Amino acid sequence: MDIRRLSYNRRRRLFLQQLVNGLTIGGIYAMIAVGYTMIYGVIQLINFAHGEIYMLGAFFAITFIVSLGIPFFVALPLSMACCAICGVLLDIVAYRPLRRSPRLAALITAIGMSIFLQNLAMVIWGSRPKPFPQGALPAYFEKTAVSFGGVNLSWFHLFIYGMTFTMMVGLNLIIKKTRWGKAMRAVAQNKTMAALAGINVNRVISYTFVLAGALGGAAGIMTGAFYNKIEPTMGYIAGVKAFAAAVLGGIGSVPGAMLGGLVLGVAEAFGAGYLSSLYRDGISYGVMIIVIILIPAGLFGRVLKETKKSM
Amino acid sequence: MTRGAMIRIGFLILALIMPFLPFVTDYILHIVILIFLYMILALGLNIVPGFNGLLDLGYVGFYGIGAYTSGLLTYHFGLSYWVIIPLAFINGAIWGILLGAPTLRLTGDYFAIVTFGFSELVVLFLTNEIWLTRGPLGLPGIDVVSIDLSLLGGPKWEFIGELPYYYLAIVMVLVTVFVMHRIQNSRLGRAWFAIRDDEVAAVSCGIKLLTYKVIAFAISAAFGAVGGSFFARWVTFLSPDMFKFWESFLVLCMIVLGGMGNIWGVMIGAAILVSLSEVLRELLPLLGLPVGVRFLAFGLIMVLMMRYRPAGMLPISAVAAQMRAGRTKRKRLKPVSRA
Repeated sequence: MDIRRLSYNRRRRLFLQQLVNGLTIGGIYAMIAVGYTMIYGVIQLINFAHGEIYMLGAFFAITFIVSLGIPFFVALPLSMACCAICGVLLDIVAYRPLRRSPRLAALITAIGMSIFLQNLAMVIWGSRPKPFPQGALPAYFEKTAVSFGGVNLSWFHLFIYGMTFTMMVGLNLIIKKTRWGKAMRAVAQNKTMAALAGINVNRVISYTFVLAGALGGAAGIMTGAFYNKIEPTMGYIAGVKAFAAAVLGGIGSVPGAMLGGLVLGVAEAFGAGYLSSLYRDGISYGVMIIVIILIPAGLFGRVLKETKKSM
Repeated sequence: MTRGAMIRIGFLILALIMPFLPFVTDYILHIVILIFLYMILALGLNIVPGFNGLLDLGYVGFYGIGAYTSGLLTYHFGLSYWVIIPLAFINGAIWGILLGAPTLRLTGDYFAIVTFGFSELVVLFLTNEIWLTRGPLGLPGIDVVSIDLSLLGGPKWEFIGELPYYYLAIVMVLVTVFVMHRIQNSRLGRAWFAIRDDEVAAVSCGIKLLTYKVIAFAISAAFGAVGGSFFARWVTFLSPDMFKFWESFLVLCMIVLGGMGNIWGVMIGAAILVSLSEVLRELLPLLGLPVGVRFLAFGLIMVLMMRYRPAGMLPISAVAAQMRAGRTKRKRLKPVSRA
């Protein structure tokens, strides 16, 4: 398709359509990216297994809906809770024993856990992609809610935007206003000082994993429902893209991760629409490599300092 | 002669006569060649995490580059394998320098993730640039390795069956081990160990961090590419699926299991994991599970090794000390009795 040959109206519609798609997927990336960035903030570890938590969220949801017959709007918070528990377990089982080890050991553990969880899901739920039970979704999700410039926005789009927005605002409030948020920021700044001030560092880290796991799980459920496809390998690509988003925003910065997710989603949609849909995934990797090389601090971040034992 | 040297020579003799032992079938020979191939790969990767303490998640990218270099040069130009080996080596090293020079000045985490992105881009390129690589259709019918003496009036001898490849693989492993051994005890190797043990101390001794890291990454990439070039001419078929992240993970797992930085440990790690992988490949379908699930075991191995023996089965003392750093138990203070 040669875009230049299209009429003005169709070009505008294509543009808006890509923007809508980009913001949808970008919001989902943002929700995963926030988890990466928060965990990096408190323990300076790229939690490669975070993408797997996202994948598990989708699988928990369809298990609840299909096997137990729980309605979608109940299954959503239930699966998020399960993901939060998984996140905490991951930290306790895999990362906590290595807190004082060098970074290399922790990174290798993170990769190992990611591969382990992915294959565990394959053993439990099978390796074939599964459809999301569409009957569980409310019927009006398919219907058009808003229509502008020839582009139709379904209620499902609005639901995803609404969820993303609510969670992001909620997360910001938790981090900025609550005691736990304050403790998290203190731990991110300096663990030793935080501990001296009477903060239970390990518990704060667990809370971070709870928040990250719940958000990642929600993202997984919404992706699974939106694209109607759930598979054990879905966490691997989404995880790397979300990490790219976190890097773009500046790792350690929560607003940065949100913005990074949206920018990356839109860039990917436009790249796939206008340049080449074959390199859809490549756009994220390309953006990530270029950002890391040119502006390693990201849009909002600080420059990482190499420390020998920072975990 | 020391005991270690005798064991090594014993293994070498065993390897040389192995194809003629009565119970050895073509299948076993095939797997042993696979073990040798992964030994080359693991020894190559070992330079980056083992000698330099950096995590490289994109090793399979260079393996793929080497394989397709070899495959395409054979396919289009009919080059002899003996010309291709150095070309693959150089091509791997070039990509290593191109990727390493800008990214190795960053922290280790960023480096790990960039290498990962790079290897994914390589797979995407191999899949999508159909004009060059035939994409997902794969590259079939790559010529086998041959020794062509017709210019000198001699015969042309083609490598058919597993046996000639077996000996070719042994020679390549021996050369790789020799090179690694020499590097390890050279000025270059000592500089790398210094960087691994303490970067600040290394810089203050006048070691240029970036230069030495880029050299390490380039050599590692080059050996990955050489492994790939052998793979292409051995299986005579290439497809982009063969170069996914799993391979990087498998090679990394070999190093972690065997002992980072230890040449012999890494080779043993390769032997164990390739064998385990083949056993599981036979066993899993019997249990009704997909073959991919064998990575469950590999993931678990990595996590458990990091938890209990972070320096591997055959640890070298420097790595062991470093991996344990900060994990030593604090001395418990005796309570002071109040008089």
